[in-house]
Amino acid sequence: MTDVTVKELAPADRGAGKRATGKVVFYATVIFMCVVLVLPVIAFFINAFAFRWFYPQLIPDEWSLQAWQRLGLLPPAGQFSIENLFAQWASVPDVVRALGLSLWIGFLVTGVSIVIGMPAARALGMYSFRGKRLIEFIIITPTIVPPIAFSLGLNINFIRWDLALEAAGINLGLSGSVLGVSIVHLVPVMPYVVLTLSGVFANYNADFEAQARTLGAGPFRTFWHVTFPAILPGLFVACLFAFLVSWSQYLLTFLIGQGRVITLPILLFSAAGSGNNAVIAALSLIFIAPAVLILLVSSRFLSGESGAVGGFGRV
Amino acid sequence: MSWERWRIPLMLGPTVLIILVLFFGSLGFGFLQSLGFQPQLGNTELNFDAYVSVMFSEEHSSRFWAGLLLTFWVAFASTFISAALAIAIALLLRRTFFGKRLAVFLFQLNLPIPHLVIAIGMILVFSQSGLLSRVAGELGLISSPRDFPVLVRDSSGIGIILAYVWKEIAFFGIIVMAILQSLGEDYEAAAQSLGANRWQRFRYVTLPLIMPGLMSASIIVFAFTFGTYEVPRILGVRHPEMLPVMALDFFLNPDLNARAEGMALSIIIAVIVLILVLIYMYISARTIRRG
Amino acid sequence: MKLSTLKNAAIAATAALAISASATAQDLPGFTSWDEVVEQARGETVYWYMWGGSDAINGFVDEFYGIPLQEEYGITLERVPVADTVDVVNQVISEQQAGATGDRGTVDLIWINGENFFTLRQADLLYGPWAEGIPNAALVDWDNPAIYLDFGRPVDGYESPWSSAQFHFVYDSARLDEDELPRSYAELSDWIEANPGQFTYMAPGPGAFVGTRFVKQLFFELSGGHDQWVGDFNEDLYNEWAPQVWQTLIDWQPNLWREGETYPANQSEADQLFANGETAFTFTQSPSGAAPSIAAGIVPPTSQAFSFNDYMIGDFNYVAIPFNAPNKAAALVTANLILRPDLQAFQVQPENGFCCGWGIDVSRVTDPAQLEAINVAMENLGDAAEDPNILAGALVADIAAEYQTRIEADWERYVLRGEPLPQ
Repeated sequence: MTDVTVKELAPADRGAGKRATGKVVFYATVIFMCVVLVLPVIAFFINAFAFRWFYPQLIPDEWSLQAWQRLGLLPPAGQFSIENLFAQWASVPDVVRALGLSLWIGFLVTGVSIVIGMPAARALGMYSFRGKRLIEFIIITPTIVPPIAFSLGLNINFIRWDLALEAAGINLGLSGSVLGVSIVHLVPVMPYVVLTLSGVFANYNADFEAQARTLGAGPFRTFWHVTFPAILPGLFVACLFAFLVSWSQYLLTFLIGQGRVITLPILLFSAAGSGNNAVIAALSLIFIAPAVLILLVSSRFLSGESGAVGGFGRV
Repeated sequence: MSWERWRIPLMLGPTVLIILVLFFGSLGFGFLQSLGFQPQLGNTELNFDAYVSVMFSEEHSSRFWAGLLLTFWVAFASTFISAALAIAIALLLRRTFFGKRLAVFLFQLNLPIPHLVIAIGMILVFSQSGLLSRVAGELGLISSPRDFPVLVRDSSGIGIILAYVWKEIAFFGIIVMAILQSLGEDYEAAAQSLGANRWQRFRYVTLPLIMPGLMSASIIVFAFTFGTYEVPRILGVRHPEMLPVMALDFFLNPDLNARAEGMALSIIIAVIVLILVLIYMYISARTIRRG
Repeated sequence: MKLSTLKNAAIAATAALAISASATAQDLPGFTSWDEVVEQARGETVYWYMWGGSDAINGFVDEFYGIPLQEEYGITLERVPVADTVDVVNQVISEQQAGATGDRGTVDLIWINGENFFTLRQADLLYGPWAEGIPNAALVDWDNPAIYLDFGRPVDGYESPWSSAQFHFVYDSARLDEDELPRSYAELSDWIEANPGQFTYMAPGPGAFVGTRFVKQLFFELSGGHDQWVGDFNEDLYNEWAPQVWQTLIDWQPNLWREGETYPANQSEADQLFANGETAFTFTQSPSGAAPSIAAGIVPPTSQAFSFNDYMIGDFNYVAIPFNAPNKAAALVTANLILRPDLQAFQVQPENGFCCGWGIDVSRVTDPAQLEAINVAMENLGDAAEDPNILAGALVADIAAEYQTRIEADWERYVLRGEPLPQ
């Protein structure tokens, strides 16, 4: 394993005491780094359960669930009972609706982007053809042109297309709808999906597919039993990126959703002006939780061998 | 076979179509609007008035140039600092030690957290009455919030940079860790056997190997920090303000002429970033040819 | 002259209303009677766009309006929270720009006033006139210039009042004694000098009309009166006093919070600075003073509202209907419902979370049950509020919208960016 190599590399004449000091320094650095990196999350946890947590209190004098009550997730203070809790949730608080909508859009966008992006990634990763550089450039551009640049134009374009479609008898209602928002999320998502998956396909050996086919497997069976397992780790990474990009999208949702598509970022941005830190922190925690869960599931695929992350080297 | 001929175009078609129509279509329409094209208002003559107004008019120019400077500073500083820290941490976490899995997880933790949330977190942690200020107060380092340095909502963009660093360290980190892992330790072992010290091994072996991936990631991060709205909106001040905030302010101004200026500003942002990326691609292509 | 004509028109309209039975709607464009409006609204959804930064207000709207709308009128209320009302204005403009006319828009009702109203009105993007035609308009004092003029501009029946607000201050009674409080801008200047670093005001500009109001009031005090500022925008008058105002604010800077390098951008930033003891004062618009913020835990429980002796701007806020609203009938029913006296009585009580004052003239209410609700509310304002008589004594109306635009631009230029003042 790698650590063995490192130890073997260490000069043999180094004293044991020096090694111990080195170890302390090492652990201190790692712990310091971890604490610093998670400071925002710590701050969210304290704020979300604190009440009147004003300077100079370091540990809040008063703890409270008022933020969660204000968000409609818990019954008002003093009225806690299981029935009330059910009643509260049955009325679908705004936060729950926004959470559901964010998840739904995130999964939808992820699914669609993978289905559309996988063939493109395969073409880019496995074949060379005329105009490949140009196609790569086109696909990559949305990641290097700042989002603000096309979002503003897209806003008006969508309303115009709606009206044109309506005139043609098709009532899609793209602007201000979940469908429209999901479609525009594809723009920032596609480059990440294609980049990661093309990295995977660049390291992929298509011979196995050919063998499977010679053995009589149809295209679907070939994909399911041969291609899919081989690209699975990279696919996970692509899904993770797709979901996260959609999940954190504020500007596009705001401009295309016309205020009607209220996802978590929209809710949080609007609450950020309320001055109630407890509510803001509670919302932030709700916003973080699903994303962190997904990271937990896919984190082991992020490190290395899938070749997925290497796709970024292709910009 | 005719099928073979159409195979690659068919595979690429949907993705390219989405990006051409939605992205380039909107960029083009935005460009037209920035030239004053507003057919609904009977305006079909094209001109560069909005660009001139944004960059050179008495009303907007000082705001624009101050904003441009800040935007450059923030984008460069955040990209550079987060890349450097990410390399350092990735090298540190390469060793095997007790609790490594937890440390790696915490290292990646900020990756899935949206920028908006990180920005809010920065206020809770770094403001003059935030978590750190209270710790400093408890330790007797400061006697009132006023003594704590101004780290967020400051006029030099420190708060914005902090937020980007927090977030992008994780992004750079997974890329660097993935590259390091796929490289293994053979190259460095070879260098060491040739007598290279720790710094030399890093400078002449490890760094060149991770450089291509790192530079690509840097482009993405640079462009992102150059053109993102939420973070500077929450952590910035009124003056100077970063260009994306200024662009959206123009765009959301009920005066329709300001809208053309907002579009012009967003096109300017896009052009600046594109030029920088092209310069980078040119330089890196030349370096590779030489190498 | 223009003002008096308008006032006469308003009086005539109200008189006409008083004569006709309150249930017969007049001049609701597109409808022949109120019954038709109610009938057409049934089963519809009303999309009400409003500033969504306060969960207390959001909760109030959902509970006190959402439920009766559903139960009594069969209307579903969809409250659409926005970070800033100007976003909605922009959206309606985008829709018009793209050709979405008739009832093909997306916004039914907007919580609005001042410049945003003026912008939509000027571009002819509002439905109306209707505000004096809904039944509960009879309870609104349409003779009051603070109602028929919004930032000095005639309302002309294109928006209907919802509630009222008045600028005043909040201090912490645990930190300051009542007799130490400044009661005018002159006293505030001295206070700032004696207490460096402890005062700031909100940066006048988008999202912080309260900051603009703070500066406007300084104009009134320095120029020695409010009367001359009423009416159309007066460029000469503005230019006469503006340099003094900017000079005063610049003179404050060394002794302001963070030496005036930056200012809080909105109410929540100002509240947090106050709550954490960084500054000594924050601001409120609510007749119940600090009570709503205390209940939310945003400011210390010892917070108290106080007013200067003069020039505290008060105004009404309204609801308006865009020209392309898809459900105009449902929007009209909602605009009418929010003026119902018992619901108005709920909105002024701090315990219900909505922070604003009366939109109706309570002396016009005759129904005994409704009167009882009003009396209960009057006794329930809480003890973090300033004395209503002092507030009423200091009340002045807001002025023409152009002043706001000029003040915001010039403040940014001379005070924030520090360009030299014109000679």
